[in-house]
Amino acid sequence: MVTPESIQNNIAQGMATAHLTVVGDGQHFEAIVVSEAFAGQSRIRRHQLVFATLGDRMRGEIHALSIKTYTPEEWQAAAAS
Amino acid sequence: MTTDIQQRIHEQVTSNPVVLYIKGSAKFPQCGYSANVVRILNLLGVKDFLAVNVFDDPAYVPGLVEYANWPTLPQCYINGEFIGGSDILTEMYQSGELQQLLSGHAG
Repeated sequence: MVTPESIQNNIAQGMATAHLTVVGDGQHFEAIVVSEAFAGQSRIRRHQLVFATLGDRMRGEIHALSIKTYTPEEWQAAAAS
Repeated sequence: MTTDIQQRIHEQVTSNPVVLYIKGSAKFPQCGYSANVVRILNLLGVKDFLAVNVFDDPAYVPGLVEYANWPTLPQCYINGEFIGGSDILTEMYQSGELQQLLSGHAG
């Protein structure tokens, strides 16, 4: 069984994040990733950066992962609104 | 085999303005994310999109993963370009970008 913690660990080890949460029920997961690495990157590229931290797990055990990406600035703006 | 599916995907996305690769049919999507992208296009009044059921051919899923360098489904293509999956389409719908990109295809 896939745990949200294992997904969170992979992402945290694979990229520098200012904020990171992963929740899920073992089948469907939702990640919020805040990273300076997203600055100036397209939505597709941002997701690819996160997918890369999960490697082959995305092609096998993880079927449903929803991802929201923010730069620290965007995250602050979202939190304030 | 691999090149066949790459060529078929390329032909589909370049000869149709809007293409969705989904699990199930557009009428009966078999996954919540696939249902979400169909719903968004319906909300925007896009009627002339091609919906490809990836269960029609087992080559589709590995082929699409490679074609878009993207590990998940659904996948949406507009004017031959990979746009994203359910999360990105939702964000672009909420921000109004998708409506802009689709202007001319709605109605």
